[in-house]
Amino acid sequence: MGHYSDPPLLVLASLASGPKHGHAMIEDIARLCGTRLGPGTLYGAIARLEQQGWIEPLPPEDRRRPYRMTAEGLRILRAKLTTLQHFTKAGLERLESL
Amino acid sequence: MSPALARLLTRLYPLSWRERYGDEFEALLEVGSFGPGTALDVVSSAMFERMFPTRGGNMDQPAYSFGAVLKRPSAFIPVAMSLTALALVMGHIAIYGAAREADEGATAHLWQILMAGQLPVLAFFAITWLRRAPRQALGVLAVQAGAVMAAMAPVFYFNL
Repeated sequence: MGHYSDPPLLVLASLASGPKHGHAMIEDIARLCGTRLGPGTLYGAIARLEQQGWIEPLPPEDRRRPYRMTAEGLRILRAKLTTLQHFTKAGLERLESL
Repeated sequence: MSPALARLLTRLYPLSWRERYGDEFEALLEVGSFGPGTALDVVSSAMFERMFPTRGGNMDQPAYSFGAVLKRPSAFIPVAMSLTALALVMGHIAIYGAAREADEGATAHLWQILMAGQLPVLAFFAITWLRRAPRQALGVLAVQAGAVMAAMAPVFYFNL
């Protein structure tokens, strides 16, 4: 039971605070939950999120390309976090009753 | 991480993936430190991408520019071979004159090797790239044909 690791969700959560390029996402996610994504894992998540239309690329800045969340990505992130919130609440209530 | 190592690791990914993400991925690798964890992460991700390639988005329609196709080894090597053959002939004429010789010398043999040796490379290029990017490949083939004609022109002109 280490750090939370669901790379696509972590990328979406990072982009919720604004567009970022790869390195900025890695640092932001590390601050957010302590998980430091590897570059391969990060770009695996980016490619699949872009494929699903949940994030989109912005014009490159030098060789770095920022990404931002789409409206569909925002909807998905909200739904996933709400599910996690319900799960967390239910789990904690069960612990309380022990 | 050094740019050379970043490039090497990026080359583990499939071509279509590299054409879309390669440049920014290399830039990301270059700003990070290299260790066993990073190497394992990149190698395993590249293998996963090869087994289960990402489709859709910009990946289905890779944009090949003429310059990008011309940078392929199978595109520029034949041109380089033709230009080398041309330089050999011109050098020979400059040194020994344009008179026809009874025996074929080393220059003639080198010229023949360079011209014949590029044929399989030309065929490989045509088979691979006419399917992937027909318009750009035709442009490169025209450049290759121009280089071949340039290499052959002095041989026929001076009747060597």
